Amino acid sequence: MEWEESLLPPTSVPPALKAEVRKRLGVVPGWVARVAPVPWVARSWASMMSKPVAHVSPALCDLIALVVSQDNSCRYCFGAQRAVMRMLGYREAYIARLERAFHVADLSDAERAGLDFARRISRADPRPSRADLERLARAGFSPPAIAELAYVAAATVFANRAATLLALPPEPFETMVDRPLVRLMRPLMARRLRARPRQPEPLPRPNDGPGAAAVATLDGSPAAGVLRAALDAAWASEVLPRRTKTLALAVVARALGCARSEGESVLALERVARALGCARSEGESVLALERDGFGARDVEEILATLGSTRLDARETRIVPFARETVRYHRPVPIQRRMREVAEGLEPAEVLEAVGVVALANTVCRLGLLVDLS
Amino acid sequence: MSWAALCAALVALAVLAWRTRRTVAGLERRLAGAHEELERLQQAFSRFAPAEVVEDIIADGLSARSEKKEITVLFADLKGFTELGEGLAPAELVTILNGYLERMSQTVVEHRGHVSKFLGDGILALFGALEANPWQTNDAVHAALAMRRALADYNATLVAAGRPALEMGVGVHRGPVVSGLIGSEGLTGYDVIGRTVNVASRVERLTRTHGVDILVTDATRAALDGRFRLRAMPAVAVKGIAGALATFAVEGFDADGRAR
Repeated sequence: MEWEESLLPPTSVPPALKAEVRKRLGVVPGWVARVAPVPWVARSWASMMSKPVAHVSPALCDLIALVVSQDNSCRYCFGAQRAVMRMLGYREAYIARLERAFHVADLSDAERAGLDFARRISRADPRPSRADLERLARAGFSPPAIAELAYVAAATVFANRAATLLALPPEPFETMVDRPLVRLMRPLMARRLRARPRQPEPLPRPNDGPGAAAVATLDGSPAAGVLRAALDAAWASEVLPRRTKTLALAVVARALGCARSEGESVLALERVARALGCARSEGESVLALERDGFGARDVEEILATLGSTRLDARETRIVPFARETVRYHRPVPIQRRMREVAEGLEPAEVLEAVGVVALANTVCRLGLLVDLS
Repeated sequence: MSWAALCAALVALAVLAWRTRRTVAGLERRLAGAHEELERLQQAFSRFAPAEVVEDIIADGLSARSEKKEITVLFADLKGFTELGEGLAPAELVTILNGYLERMSQTVVEHRGHVSKFLGDGILALFGALEANPWQTNDAVHAALAMRRALADYNATLVAAGRPALEMGVGVHRGPVVSGLIGSEGLTGYDVIGRTVNVASRVERLTRTHGVDILVTDATRAALDGRFRLRAMPAVAVKGIAGALATFAVEGFDADGRAR
């Protein structure tokens, strides 16, 4: 698979961050050193991929991560997931059969239905339908399990977007899996990599702001807290303005036809505008809104045209680019576009932009489930 | 004797088991190969029809799905190509035309459109037909501008090779169409039908009347980014359309300009 050179070089990782990622994933993957300058991206990536699920099996999560990564042509995630599955004890022949065509691999009907649904969430074209939910219910999945299936697919979409846009190089452990010493140590390593079983958890409170409806679909799952924390951390980070991030989310929502996520983004933008107004005297606030903030008409103009003179230089690049991350068929063209967008931006800005569009793709794909309810 | 019979039976059983296993493995490989091929076909088909239609075809062999949707139609045609062709050798004519169609198709695809069909030297391209695209009209008019640039580049190559330059007209219209698999049992394809397609074709013809290369309708203008520079053309009566048809020539796009 064609793949570009890595967009950003590795950097040093603070020991605390390294320990946190190791605790979540059992290992410290190579991407940690690439995204460390924006810690929320590293934390969210690690938490989201740590299988925070209580209603579907970790084994099905593994299969979903493999199938969705392959479907998204993510060289990095596919290779890494393949290697992790080998460490966990999956046979090479079994993985190869899954790669070729999971429909004819040794899977139960429930696993096959789950994988079909996961791929549908990832592709979002056609959108998942009530018929899909009914098929899953017939295969034995409860509503919370269906929400978790969607979450695992959407979280894999996050990893796929982040790894592809950053053009992460393959993990060295991909080639080490079959070395004699590593084979001997596999049981030990599998113990570290295997996700611990999680219990259902209540919806985090408060759950408001961008992505609230998507988070609410995960009520009862540990994934809800993980996604809420990721969104809150992303929006609290000060590398890029909140309005830039909210606009990127709104654009992804519109591209996917996810009415609920787009509505939430517009509400959030209005809140940002109001907050800017509150920070100044009344006369100044009008000026500030004119200068910095967006009213509903401005937001509509940006969403309708992906451009406006009110966007700053960074937004002029990032906001239209958000649309391109929704669907792409090959990694190299989108990686080249990412490089163009990144030109002139600080590495931290690039990382935050990548993290936000990846997260937007996750939230809006879960939003497709919200629109069904 | 009984030991020999037992051994023979065991060997026969082992051979049978081995052969069965080999047959099953072979069947599995063929099944996986067939499925892989189906996946590839699905991906290939998705360039010509919406994903839902492709899924229907794969599941049932056909798709009765038809729907009304709002799309943007771009119709492009070469001006005076028939006359031009009369002075060229057939092989040269085909080479020039194929070079043009190749470049224009690539430009359409780069702007998220899809070429529905070639009609001689005409191109019918659709935006927002295969997948929902909220920015379909902007994409179509950006594609038209990119086609203008691509034709200028192509003309430079043609003239340098001592061949005649081409002149193109493009009409863009947005409106409702009915889409679905259309055709006979022997020849079927995903297509759109409706007045919108006819209007786009008529608008393209008007580029000759107005002496411009890209024209859009009022319905297109209404959905368009205000940073496109448009010039109103006089409304003209057009066959098959009630009332005079107002069109706008597209002059360019001001990336740094203020929206309308």
